[in-house]
Amino acid sequence: MEKKNRISNQQLKALLVTTVIGIGILSLPSEVAVALNNDGWIAILIGGLIPVPFIMIMDRLFKMYPKKSYFQITKEVMSPFVAYIFFIVFFIYTIVVIGYIHRVFAEVIKAYLLENTPIKVILITMLVAVSYAARSRLEVLARVAVMIYPIILGFPIFLLVVNLPNLDYTNILPIFQLDIKQIPNGIFTAYFAYLGFEITTLAFNITEDNTKSVKYTLRGLFTVIGVYLIVFFVTLSQYGVFQLKRGIWPSIDVIKEVDLPGYFVENLDGIVLAIWVLVVYSSLGPFFHTSGIILKEIFNTKTHEVFIPFLIPITFVISIIPDNLVVVTKVMARILEYLAFIVSIILPVVIFIVAYIKKRRVKT
Amino acid sequence: MEELSKDLNTNLQMLEEIFKDVDDLVFRLVELGESKTKACFVFIDELIDGARLSEYAIQAVLIDDKKDFNLKLFTSNLIKNLANREITISEVKEEEDLGNIIDAILSGQTVLFVEKEKKALLLETRGFPTRGISEPESETVVRGPRDGFGENLKMNMALVRRRIRDPKLKVKMKKVGRRSKTDIAIMYIEDIINENILEEVNKRIEQIDIDAILDSSTLEFLIEDNYLSPFPQIEVTERPDTVAASIYEGRVGILVDNTPFALIAPVTIGAIMQAAEDHYSRWTITSFIRLLRIFAVFLAALAPAFYIAMTSFHPGLIPTRLTYYLGASRINVPFPAVVEAFLMEITIEVLRESGTRLAGPIGSTIGIVGGLIIGQASVEAGIVSPLMIIIVAITTISVFALPNYEWASGFRFIRFAYMILAAIFGLYGIMLGIVVLFVHLAKMESFGIPYTAPYSGLGLREGDLKDTLIRAPLQKLKYRPRFTLPKDKKRMGDIKNGKEE
Repeated sequence: MEKKNRISNQQLKALLVTTVIGIGILSLPSEVAVALNNDGWIAILIGGLIPVPFIMIMDRLFKMYPKKSYFQITKEVMSPFVAYIFFIVFFIYTIVVIGYIHRVFAEVIKAYLLENTPIKVILITMLVAVSYAARSRLEVLARVAVMIYPIILGFPIFLLVVNLPNLDYTNILPIFQLDIKQIPNGIFTAYFAYLGFEITTLAFNITEDNTKSVKYTLRGLFTVIGVYLIVFFVTLSQYGVFQLKRGIWPSIDVIKEVDLPGYFVENLDGIVLAIWVLVVYSSLGPFFHTSGIILKEIFNTKTHEVFIPFLIPITFVISIIPDNLVVVTKVMARILEYLAFIVSIILPVVIFIVAYIKKRRVKT
Repeated sequence: MEELSKDLNTNLQMLEEIFKDVDDLVFRLVELGESKTKACFVFIDELIDGARLSEYAIQAVLIDDKKDFNLKLFTSNLIKNLANREITISEVKEEEDLGNIIDAILSGQTVLFVEKEKKALLLETRGFPTRGISEPESETVVRGPRDGFGENLKMNMALVRRRIRDPKLKVKMKKVGRRSKTDIAIMYIEDIINENILEEVNKRIEQIDIDAILDSSTLEFLIEDNYLSPFPQIEVTERPDTVAASIYEGRVGILVDNTPFALIAPVTIGAIMQAAEDHYSRWTITSFIRLLRIFAVFLAALAPAFYIAMTSFHPGLIPTRLTYYLGASRINVPFPAVVEAFLMEITIEVLRESGTRLAGPIGSTIGIVGGLIIGQASVEAGIVSPLMIIIVAITTISVFALPNYEWASGFRFIRFAYMILAAIFGLYGIMLGIVVLFVHLAKMESFGIPYTAPYSGLGLREGDLKDTLIRAPLQKLKYRPRFTLPKDKKRMGDIKNGKEE
């Protein structure tokens, strides 16, 4: 039975997949190709495995403090001052992520769909639309995720099928020509495309059967890895490694290459990008929701809804700070990578260690 | 709570006082037996079946006027004896509360007062003109039962009951409406339905405090979850077989007096997209039609919006030759696509509205004048492009392809919002609108059940898609749909036609 404020493990899986897959996928193939050439798939694979131990840690943490949210656990484990610092770091991370995703996506929309519309208008409309989702409970976001899930899974399959006639598989070779020193860099880049899993792990405490939550989360994670790998191989065999490196959003461009007779739609990239609005929306929703939840914990209010309207201008300003796309991808993304490293890896580990020690001490 | 007095005249005066200026209230005085005990039948003239009253009640007590009602047996409890030995009407009840007696008179029962008795006798004599059983107008089928609900609650209940011969079928009668005191019947099967749903339905109906319930829609709007939404959260039907099928699925059927439209709760998108005939036709064609309906939803909501987006923002997305043709056909049209689309969509809505309010032959005239002449002429006059006419036609037809009228109307309405979005932001605007619609639908609940089930998770794993997205062969539908969280999950045993060893 679906209880109030509970989500099923299937919904959790869908939530993970839709949150993680967003704009990262559009540029991922070229980014890993820059780092590792033909062996970019290694980065995608290993980068996708990095979250696994941290998902486990989060699960253990929630088992230690059943029925409590991550933020409540933080408050209980840490001294209030440290807890608030943690919250603020997490909050900054979420709003920067929102700003970043918005900006990149608005740039994509402007480039492919709305050439003449000012980017600020695209940003504002998207933010307002996302805030509508963010105001609702996580349960609702999970339901939306399940509805959008087939679209995300359909995308790589669609990509594969329509591109099959004009793929050149020799482009995939040679493999294992990698430079060992470049591997960490490549993995770090790829890891960036997996962000969002830390938001989903926060839902562990509201799943119906939390003994299986980890299993489903990992399944979701492997689905994401699979999607990324397919997209990488399709773009690689379509373009070859040198052209792939120069592309900005190869995953969209590759659809442009498709020209099958009998199509009612001539340029598929526009349509696919339009559908991608759904996917990006579903990854923005949970981030926006979480930032509201953090504010709720900081200010101890009953609901997170009240903060959502105030977050719209804040995230809007963050998203228009960078002057152009280069600043976004080179500077903003770098800052975000460090923040993500702190929030998704260091914070859970620290909280877990302290919690573990505290529990030990109580027992002895 | 006022009680009756022992004196017949006092009682009658009391009634006369209450029903002052009510001229259709009839007092029929009689004298019983040799003792000439006074008694009086009170009823409202037009609400009763006069023949039944005179034959089985008045005649019954008067025919044997030699009978000694003074016998000890009789005098000790005259009312009870009248009920048990004399009056031959099927339903008889003793009553001492004045309020209930007044309610009974107003609902068409006859009340018998007897001298020296503190109780009165309620006789079931209800009989008033009703329409007979006719074919449901809004939900016709090619194959399947053709009886539809009427305006009489008892008749409607009978139609449902005939399909469920199970003592576990519970019927709870309630009166709603301060003045109308409308009878409603809540029907469900006790060992299938989930208690939480039932409790929620009962709770919400109890809360209602309104003057009158004239149609089930009033009740629907008062007990639904989100009254601001354009989409219905309770299913409405005039087919008894649909109600029965829903009750078997573990849902609650709510029948309201004086209306042929019954309510079914809870409802989800999966259930709302089903037509009555789905379970009466073969599974192949039904599955195909169900997929078509989903397509029709998108057409009904988005076709004009896509037209606007494509012509004004993304001509590059459609095939080049179509773009040329489109440009050529629009060359004489002085308006932007959005004005053109609004013009035509509003015209068709006006046409539709006038067609609905008019009777058959005039209605079809409107269709011909509106559809053919206006369509043809407006293209020739250069106001709209031919493609726009096609789009409008497709949209309107798609709306009719959806089985639930209110659900279709919801899309008819939000279509205009999508047109505005498309006019401002093109495809991006449409997608933004779609995603907001998704969230809106996901937010909605119908009596605690997520409205988007099974597409949003509940029942997805258990295979609810087999009877929503498509309709699998009956042999594969061994379990009830899970979105109602039924207590009794299995509804069918194994079938081995010709497969025995």
